[in-house]
Amino acid sequence: MNGLNLIDDFDKFKYGMELFLKPPEFSVGTTPSEIIYTEDKMRLLHYIPTVEKPHPVPILIVYALVNRYYILDLQPDKSIIKKLLGEGFDVYVIDWGYPSGVDRYLTLDDYVNGYINNAVDKIREQSRLDKITLLGVCQGGTFSVMYAALYPEKLKNLVTLVAPVDFDTDNGILHIWAKSLDVDKIVDYYGIVPGDFLNSGFLLLDPFRLMIDKYVGMFERIECKPNDTACQVRNEDYIKNFLRMEKWIFDSPDQAGETFRQFMKDCYQKNLLIKNEMKLNGKKINLKNITMPLLNVMAEFDHLVPNDASKPLYDAVSSSDKETLVFPTGHIGIFVGSKSQKEVCPEIAAWLKPRSLLNGNGKTGSGNEKKPGSAREEKIESGNEEKTESAKEKINEQNRKNRRSRVDKK
Amino acid sequence: MSESNGLNMEKSGFESTQEFFDMWLNTYKASMGKLVEMPAIGPAREKSEKMTKGFSTFVNLYAAGMDTSSNLQRVFMEAMRKVQEKTATDMDGKISPEKYKEFYNIWMETYSETFKKFMKSGHFASDMGKLNSHLIDFQKYNREMLEDNYLKPMDLPTKTEIDEINKELYSLKKTVKELTSQIKELKNKK
Repeated sequence: MNGLNLIDDFDKFKYGMELFLKPPEFSVGTTPSEIIYTEDKMRLLHYIPTVEKPHPVPILIVYALVNRYYILDLQPDKSIIKKLLGEGFDVYVIDWGYPSGVDRYLTLDDYVNGYINNAVDKIREQSRLDKITLLGVCQGGTFSVMYAALYPEKLKNLVTLVAPVDFDTDNGILHIWAKSLDVDKIVDYYGIVPGDFLNSGFLLLDPFRLMIDKYVGMFERIECKPNDTACQVRNEDYIKNFLRMEKWIFDSPDQAGETFRQFMKDCYQKNLLIKNEMKLNGKKINLKNITMPLLNVMAEFDHLVPNDASKPLYDAVSSSDKETLVFPTGHIGIFVGSKSQKEVCPEIAAWLKPRSLLNGNGKTGSGNEKKPGSAREEKIESGNEEKTESAKEKINEQNRKNRRSRVDKK
Repeated sequence: MSESNGLNMEKSGFESTQEFFDMWLNTYKASMGKLVEMPAIGPAREKSEKMTKGFSTFVNLYAAGMDTSSNLQRVFMEAMRKVQEKTATDMDGKISPEKYKEFYNIWMETYSETFKKFMKSGHFASDMGKLNSHLIDFQKYNREMLEDNYLKPMDLPTKTEIDEINKELYSLKKTVKELTSQIKELKNKK
């Protein structure tokens, strides 16, 4: 940066503007999928498996109501979904769609006991299994925790990714702001809480970096000498990546008012979930009902969901098979950063594989009683093909141990 | 940030602006504000009372806006002071076109950190909470005025009416879903 003068930078800006005048085409969420269930605005997507014989227990990913699920499939080389498919999993995702006025009265109960439960049942029916794996992301992780406490009998495993459960922390700005919000007034007036209203809050987290420096940085990255084709291709890729991220950031669906009301008041303001005092449709959510294997994944530098908000899940559940992983990245970096593909996905896959097998009678088992080791032993008994699978698992386990030095494990 | 560094984020500053505004607000409350609060009389009392009350809503929003704005200015001043200090030490006080990038980096780093600290303070959260609350009161008032004085006389549907229909629709859909689920369960039992 130093030594550059204004004229050099102006040239970069001019070049960047020229590129923007003929913007490259880009797309998001391109991993092939089919819609297997719809209910109101919600769609359940089933990704086409990329291996001949996927691991038996399917994964349902539940994303937040803020922004869109395709951050998990932003582009082919930054796709948690594609990576999981490549690791041999059968993957489903809930797309919440764009709620409109007609959805303003939808409650948290409708989301958890309605949409998520119906999606889980649909997958159970399609896969002919009694249990599946639930992978909840961010607010979707909180929903998944609620679901797991209410329907433990339907889940084989629970994976939470940067999911808040204990909201009584001052380490995250959102947690501080939420306490001063007159939520009733906001919901009563808007009905459907505008995505732009929520997005303006996210921009205020670091206004100068997010509204100025990000764009300055983008123009700075664009620099090519005339006729340097390789550089121009790199630039085009960079701009495509930038625009994909920009699209995701500002693609903010509005939120069903009543759901927003209960989530903000019960979670952010009263912190009822971790105290086992939160209710959905009159039924108390007791986190001690969570008995299935649990993997709680956090980002060390998460500015939206501080580790303080996620860590307490470990002690709040009854699961005997549980693990916490912390990666040195941020809230968004965990999905699309360099560590996402190299460390986060492989770790999740390695944890899930031995827990995504069927027992001898083709059932998924009761969940909490199985340890990864015992699951593997069970598979060895069922045939040669599965012995190969077990050998692969051992390699994965070794890889996992090797990587462990880079991951802070509880 | 401590007092010794020139600013305590938890306390309000920019005193002179604040003092002037407080004076204005007190004068308003003692004069015009009382007139606005007077009960209306006559055949159009309902409408005129609603309309005059709206003025108070606007004044409350304006007051909250001024409060927030003076606090933000205070943080801008603090950030500017820090930038001056840093350029004096890190750049020997020399800002030239060749060094503008270095200056930009100092400016960005300082403003970003100062504002992030302010945004994280309980003071900002409380300010934004109040401003947002008064903004919604004002918007709600405007909507009511629009509905009462334009949409209803023109026999056009209002947001309030649409919300009522949405509520009814939601309730009906929920009932249908519950009944469908019960029918499915009964079928499975057979």
